[in-house]
Amino acid sequence: MPENMVTRVRLEVLVDAPLAPKLVQLSKQAGITGHTLMRTVSGEGRGGAWSEDLVSGATSKLIFLAVANEERSNAFIRLVKPLLDSHGLLILRSPVDVVRPERF
Amino acid sequence: MDQIFATLLSAPVLFFGLGILAAAARSDLSIPESFAKGLSIYLMAAIGLKGGIEVAKAGFSSELALALLAGLLLSASIPFLVAPALRSFGRLSGIDVGAVAAHYGSVSVVTFVTANQVYADSGFIVAGFMVAVLALMETPAIISGLFIARRGSQTNDKGFSAELMREVAFNGSVVLLMGGFVVGMIIGEDGFAPIAPLFRDIFTGVLCIFLLDMGLVAMRRLRDTKALSARLVVLGIVFPILNGLIGVVAGTLIGLDAASTAGLAILAASASYIAVPAAMRMALPQANAGLYLSMSLGVTFPFNIILGIPLFRFLSEIAAGLIGGV
Repeated sequence: MPENMVTRVRLEVLVDAPLAPKLVQLSKQAGITGHTLMRTVSGEGRGGAWSEDLVSGATSKLIFLAVANEERSNAFIRLVKPLLDSHGLLILRSPVDVVRPERF
Repeated sequence: MDQIFATLLSAPVLFFGLGILAAAARSDLSIPESFAKGLSIYLMAAIGLKGGIEVAKAGFSSELALALLAGLLLSASIPFLVAPALRSFGRLSGIDVGAVAAHYGSVSVVTFVTANQVYADSGFIVAGFMVAVLALMETPAIISGLFIARRGSQTNDKGFSAELMREVAFNGSVVLLMGGFVVGMIIGEDGFAPIAPLFRDIFTGVLCIFLLDMGLVAMRRLRDTKALSARLVVLGIVFPILNGLIGVVAGTLIGLDAASTAGLAILAASASYIAVPAAMRMALPQANAGLYLSMSLGVTFPFNIILGIPLFRFLSEIAAGLIGGV
C-alpha cells in the first residue's frame, strides 16, 4: 500500500430517489459527514425492470456513496437494516484505500 | 362517432399511438429523460399561463368558486369510492389500496392538457379557470390515500411528516401550474403577446413530442411490470369511466358549460403519475410502486387519451342537452 494510505469502508446503497433524503438523514445520525448521490440509468430486479424517470421521479434510483471508518459504517448499517425490505434497498460494503484518513 | 374519429386522428393522439406501437415493437426509440422532463415543465407552465390569462379576461365568478369546490370534493372523495373495489375485486392489501386510491383521486396534467387541446381544435373550449381546479385536485387525494392506507394497515404511524407535507403542498407540478396561473393573471393578454410564440404557437408540437414519449413509457411500463393482474387492468378501465361519469354529473349540476364539464370529467377520470407517485414512495415506501404506476400510467392514461377524451365530451354534451331540455 502506498505511503499515507489507510483502509476505510466504502458504502454504496441503491435507493429510490424519493427515499434518498431518509438515507442521508440516517448517515448523519451514524456520524458519517459526507456522501455523494449518483444518478443511474436503468436496471432489473425482483420487482421487474426500472429505468430513470425524471418526469415523476418516483422510480428513479440513485446510488448513495459514502466512505467511513469501521465504527460509523457499522452504525449506519444497523440503522438502515430495518428498512432494507420496506424501502427496497440494496446495500454494498467494501474495503477501500484512502488518503487523508482523518477525513473519514 | 365523428368526435371519436376526430380525437383518434388528432396529431397528439396519433403521436401517442406511435409511441405505444414503437414500444410494443421493441424499437430502440427513446426520448432523453432530461428532455422529457423539460417538455413537462414547459407544458405545465404554458397551461398555467393560459388559464391565468383567461381568468384575467373573464374575471372571477361563482362558476369558478363552484368548480373549485367540486374539484376539491372529487379529489378527496374518489379515493374512498375506489378503495372497496381495490380491496375486494382487486385483492390488494391495505397499504397498496391507499396508495393506488390516492392516484385515482388525484389528476393527470397531461391527460387534461391533451383533452384541452383536442377539444379546442374543434371549438369546444374548456374554461381557463379549470387550470386552477386541476392544480387544486392534485393533493387532497394524497391525504385521503394516506388515511385509507393507515386505516388498512393498523399502524400508528400516520405518515404525515413535515417533509411529506412540504412535498404535497409545493411539489413541482403544483408550483408550476399555480405559479403560471398567477403570472398569467398578472400579465393579462397584453403581457402575454411577446411570449406567445413560445407558450402558444408551438404548444401543440411540443405536446406531440411529449405524448410520443408518454406512449413509449406507458407501453414499456405495461410490458415490463410484474405487478398487474387482469383484475387490476379491469379496474384501471372501469375507474376512469365511473369517475368521469361522476365528473359529468357534478359539472352539469353546478352549471358548468358542456366543455368545462368535460374538462372536470377528464380530471375526475384521470390518475396521477407525476405528483402522487413520488409522494407515495416517500410516505408509503412499503407500497408496491410498480402496481400504482402500472395502473395509472400503463392502463388508465392510454384509456383516457384514446377513448376517455371523446367519451366525456359525448356524455357532457348529452347532460347539457338534458338540462337544457328541462
